Amino acid sequence: MYKKLNNLGFVIGIFFILISLVLIIGGLVSDALANKLNFYTGFSFLVFGVLMSFLNRKDDKDVQV
Amino acid sequence: MNLHIADYLIIIIYFLFVIGVGFIIKRRIKTSNDFLTSGRNIPLWITSLAFISANLGAQEVLGMVASGAKYGIMTVHFYWVGAIFAMVFLGVFMMPFYYGSKARSVPEFLKLRFDEKTRGLNAISFAVMTIFSSGISLFALAKLLEVILHWDFEVSIWLAASIVMIYTFLGGLTSAVYNEVLQFFLIVLGLSPLVIVALHDAGGWSNIKTLLQPQLTHAWRYMGNAESNPMGINFMSLIFGLGFVMSFGYWCTDFLVVQRAMMAKNMNAAQRTPIIAAIPKMFMPLIVVLPGVIAIALLQPAMASKGFSIPSDGKGGLDYTMTLPSLISHYYPTGLLGVGITALIASFMSGMAGNVTAFNSVFTFDIYQSYFVKNKSDRHYLIVGKAVTVAGILLSIVTAYIAKGFNNINDFLQLVFSFVNGPLFATFLLGMFWKRTTGHGAFFGLLAGTIAATLTHGLTLAEGKGGWIYPLYEIHSGMGQAFIVASVSWIVNFCTTIIVSLFTKPKPEAELTGLVYSLTVKPSYHQDKWYLRVVPISLILIAITIILNIIFF
Repeated sequence: MYKKLNNLGFVIGIFFILISLVLIIGGLVSDALANKLNFYTGFSFLVFGVLMSFLNRKDDKDVQV
Repeated sequence: MNLHIADYLIIIIYFLFVIGVGFIIKRRIKTSNDFLTSGRNIPLWITSLAFISANLGAQEVLGMVASGAKYGIMTVHFYWVGAIFAMVFLGVFMMPFYYGSKARSVPEFLKLRFDEKTRGLNAISFAVMTIFSSGISLFALAKLLEVILHWDFEVSIWLAASIVMIYTFLGGLTSAVYNEVLQFFLIVLGLSPLVIVALHDAGGWSNIKTLLQPQLTHAWRYMGNAESNPMGINFMSLIFGLGFVMSFGYWCTDFLVVQRAMMAKNMNAAQRTPIIAAIPKMFMPLIVVLPGVIAIALLQPAMASKGFSIPSDGKGGLDYTMTLPSLISHYYPTGLLGVGITALIASFMSGMAGNVTAFNSVFTFDIYQSYFVKNKSDRHYLIVGKAVTVAGILLSIVTAYIAKGFNNINDFLQLVFSFVNGPLFATFLLGMFWKRTTGHGAFFGLLAGTIAATLTHGLTLAEGKGGWIYPLYEIHSGMGQAFIVASVSWIVNFCTTIIVSLFTKPKPEAELTGLVYSLTVKPSYHQDKWYLRVVPISLILIAITIILNIIFF
C-alpha cells in the first residue's frame, strides 16, 4: 500500500474516491447535501477514482523508489 | 456564498493531499537536478498533463470564462489558433534542440546557442516575471476568496502561500508537477458538472444560438472587419498577432511550460509531451469558454426566470471576472460547491507553484551558478535551490501586497511581460533555423524588439490605455493593441537580429551541432507504430483543429 503511494495515478484515484464518498455519504446522512447533482457527480468521481487507482501503468512503476 | 462543513471538508482533503504528495516525493530528492529538473525521469502522461496544467492557472480559468462572456465563442481563438499549432511546432521542431542540447533551462539553451549576455538578459527578465506572476496569482486568489466567501485577505494569502511552499520545498519540481496533474483533474472534473447543468438550463447550444447575437456564436464569420466583432480585431491581426507572434512566443519559448517537456524520459517522450498535451487543450474551451457564453445567454430577457446574474463592475457594466464564481454559486449545491471552490483554489495554487519552480531552476542554474558561485558541490546547489524556493514564495507574498496597494499594477506588469515576451520567438526561430545568427544579433535584436514594443504602446491608444508618449494612432480594442504591439516587436527583433548578425562573426559550425536545424541529426521514429510517432499525431491534431474552426466558423 505504501509503495503504491509512489504511483501518482493511485494517489489521484484515492483523492477522487474520498471526494465522492463525501458527496455520496454526505447526501445520504445530511439534508444539506441531499441533491441529485451531488449524487451524480459523486458516482462519476467514484468511477473515475477507482479506474485511476487500479489502472496498471508501466510508466509509473519505472519511476517508483 | 456560504460554505457548509462538507465544503470545508473537501477543501481540507485537497490541502492534505497536495502536502502529502510533497512528503511522498521528498524521499526521491537526492541531488540538485532531482529538485530543480526532476532528473528527466517523469512518465509521458504526467509531463503532458503538467504541460497544460502549468498554463491552467487562475488567470486562464477565470479569464477565459470572462472572455467567453465578453467576446463570445471568438475566445476559442486562444486555443484553436493561439495554442495548438504552436504546441505542435514545439514538439516537432523545437524539442529536439531543447532536449538534445541537454540544457537544464531555456536561458541555458540560449547560452549554448548564442552567448552569456543573451542568457543573462533572458534569465533575469524571466526570473522577475515569474515572481510577479506568482504574486499576482496569490493576490487574485486572496481577493476572490475575500469577495465570494468573505475570507480574510491576509489569512488567504499566508495559508495558500504556506501550502505551496511546503510541497515545493519538500519535493521541488516533481512535487509541483505531480500536484499540477492532480489540480488538472480537479479543475476539469470539478467544473464539468457546471457546464452540463448550465448548458441544460440554457436550453442547449441551439437555444443559446437563438438567444445571442450571431457575433457571439461564430468564431470567424465576423472577423473580416475589426468593427463588426466584439473583440475589435480583424482576422489578419488575429492570425499574425495571436496565432503566430504571441502564441509561438509563449508556447515555444516560455520556460514555465517548456520545462515540463524537458522533464521527459527520452527524446521521443519530450517531443510528444506538447503534442499529447494539445489533445486536452483542444477541448478545454468546453470547460473555460462555453460557461462564459452560457452565462451571457442566461442574462437575456427570455431567461430572466432562471434568476442568474453577474455582479456589476460599478461603472454600469458587468464584472466579467465574476462570471465563473457566479455560475458556481448559482448552480452548485453544498458539497459540489466545495468541489468548485477547491477547483478555483487549485488553479491559483497551480499557477503559483509553476512559477516558483521555474523561478528556482532559472535563478539557481542561470543566475546564481553562472554569475555568483561556480564550481561548488551538488549539495550546495540543492540547498540553494531550496532556499530560493522559500525566497520565491516570500517575494510572491510581497508582490501580492504591492498588487493590493496599487490597483493598476496587474495591467502594468502584464504590459511589461508582453514587451519582453513578444519579440522572444524571433530570436529562437532565427537561432534554431539560421546558423549565421550570432550572439550579438540575438542580444541586440531582443533589446530592439522590447524598445519597439514600448514605443508602439506609447504611440497607440486603445480603450483609454497606451498613448503615454503621444496618441498617434487609435486601435479599436485593448486586445487588438496587444496583438499589434507584439507583432511590431517581433518584426523589429527579427530584422535587427538579421542585420546585426550579418555584421558580426558567427560561432564555428562545430559548436552549433545539435543547436541548429541544418547541423542536427533528426530523430527518426520510423520503427515505431504510427500513433507513437510525432508527425502523424501532429497532422491528425492539425486536421481536427481545422475542422473545429470550420464547425464554429
